Amino acid sequence: MSIVKICNVKYSYNGNRTVLKNICTEFDMGKIYAILGPSGCGKTTLLSLLGGLDSPSDGQVLFQGEDIEKRGLAWHRKNNVAFIFQSYNLIEYMTPAENVALTSKLPPLPILERLGLTKEEAKRNVLKLSGGQQQRVAIARALASDAGVILADEPTGNLDEDTAVEITNILKECAHEMNKCVIIVTHSNDLAKQADVILCLKKGELQKL
Amino acid sequence: MSFIKRAGLYCLRQRFKTVILFLVLTLIATFMLTGIAIRDAAKGAIADVQTAIGGKMMLDIDMDGHMGGGQQNEWGMAYTYNGDLITEEIVDAIEKVDGVVDYNVEETEGYYGAGVNFKYLPVALGLSYTQYGEASSYTATLSSEKCKAFQSGKYKLVEGRHITSDDKYTCLISKELADYNKLSVGDTIKMYSLDSDAISEFEIVGIFDGTEGVSGNALTVDEIPANCGYVDYAGVQDIFKDIDDENGYQQLTIYVEDPVSIQNVYDKISALPELKGKTLKLTIDTDEYDAVSRPLESLQKLVNTTIIIISVVSVVILTLLLTIWIRGRKKEIGILLSIGKSKANIILQIFTETFVVAVISFAASIPFSFSVAEKAGEFLVSRVGTGTANLNMQIDATYLLPLYMIGILLIAVAVIASSWTVVCRKPKDILTKMN
Repeated sequence: MSIVKICNVKYSYNGNRTVLKNICTEFDMGKIYAILGPSGCGKTTLLSLLGGLDSPSDGQVLFQGEDIEKRGLAWHRKNNVAFIFQSYNLIEYMTPAENVALTSKLPPLPILERLGLTKEEAKRNVLKLSGGQQQRVAIARALASDAGVILADEPTGNLDEDTAVEITNILKECAHEMNKCVIIVTHSNDLAKQADVILCLKKGELQKL
Repeated sequence: MSFIKRAGLYCLRQRFKTVILFLVLTLIATFMLTGIAIRDAAKGAIADVQTAIGGKMMLDIDMDGHMGGGQQNEWGMAYTYNGDLITEEIVDAIEKVDGVVDYNVEETEGYYGAGVNFKYLPVALGLSYTQYGEASSYTATLSSEKCKAFQSGKYKLVEGRHITSDDKYTCLISKELADYNKLSVGDTIKMYSLDSDAISEFEIVGIFDGTEGVSGNALTVDEIPANCGYVDYAGVQDIFKDIDDENGYQQLTIYVEDPVSIQNVYDKISALPELKGKTLKLTIDTDEYDAVSRPLESLQKLVNTTIIIISVVSVVILTLLLTIWIRGRKKEIGILLSIGKSKANIILQIFTETFVVAVISFAASIPFSFSVAEKAGEFLVSRVGTGTANLNMQIDATYLLPLYMIGILLIAVAVIASSWTVVCRKPKDILTKMN
């Protein structure tokens, strides 16, 4: 059964430039989805609509059959989805453990250790960590929230090749072993190849490859 | 993680900003406390003045149309008041009115006496219309202490005691006159009254100061204040008992407990049956109270305006400071919005951060405020001029409650004003721009 469904979603900037035209698709649990497409085609916008960071100009985003606007976008962001950003988006005055604690009441250390951070690293300021470690913290924060859908915007874009592979493996594990729906927006064909479903966004339309 | 914990972490980790915020809030609180303390001190001083001065009413004989037809004598036409006097019956009735605390009689020129065994300070004309020379005027009173000149502080008793209602044939004379005649308390002076054509003896019970340097170019002896004194009313009544058909006062000063409720007492006295149809007029006299309380009220208004200005300026400064800092926290706000924190939750975090610092700042401002308030109070008193009233400046822990109440309000306004524009943006817009 699909966990997220988008129906006839349109999006245009200030009512002028239309980037998404009548998009309809579904996303299932336990799968990784990769959304490819040229720069500026609306990939991040589509991810924002799925995550409730923005509202479509027309159409609906359904989570488990319910319009996400019904309970409010903030509620949707808090309970249903978790984001992983290219630039990590961690709160800079907090430690990794505190960043993870933002989304969960559970102890943050086990999940950070599971993602490869030591106890000591978990208590450092996040700015003192490497890019790969910061992205692991971002993933830990997303996983700690217990959201069913993980939305990742270029999660390996700022990372070296080895770290990118590690992060990709973690995301695969999230989908296949933790039964999450992982939707990744990427330019990377290597990362896209790891996905169960590849979608391509071109001229405002979404096509399954 | 709750907004309280996030706020605590922010304050601890962003120490430089916390210290700046602490200093700004301490400064604001110091000004605010100073204002509140001065306002309260002025309020207290007004209350003290109320207690000290009280209110006054004057009951006088109404001479309009009650001065008779006039009689020709060797000096010209003489008119005699033929209306009602203030009798003991009236005084008794007034004394029983609720709110009346005391009364006094202060009849200026109630007695004219020429010095028999002493001399007045000399004047240019040097008239000698009695065999003992020129007569000077004396105020006949039941209580010299309550007379205007002593109440206002113009005259001050320097020796002996005041005249009271139990006295008979006693007097107060000026220090200048006493020195001129080498008189002292306990001595007796003899005076001749042309009106009664009799010599009377008065015991000097007190000597007062405050007449110096006001003799000017006097033509008659009673134009020199040092030549004028006070005599008790009982003695004067005794002197004129054979001349006046009716016994009674021409003037009565009525003292009221609280000047604020003076109108109420006035209405009650006016309605007394003992006063009905009498040729007497009752007037409210709040001159003394007004003279002292007006500058204090002006000071209160000035301080209230200052508090409002401080509040507005504080909100503006705090809003500007927070706006600058919140601009630098757009990314954090975007992240918090993206993980589902509500706008209210984020605003509460910023409010808590400011409030936590304010709690410490406000408490720390108490010792600073005390010295600032004293200096500011002195400055304001010197500018406004509160006369004899003093400002008793006190700042203690009880001031924290109003300070916190005003402070919370100011901080809430500043936080909402500074964060609203950022918090209300779409999280996508914030994060896209940050990335």
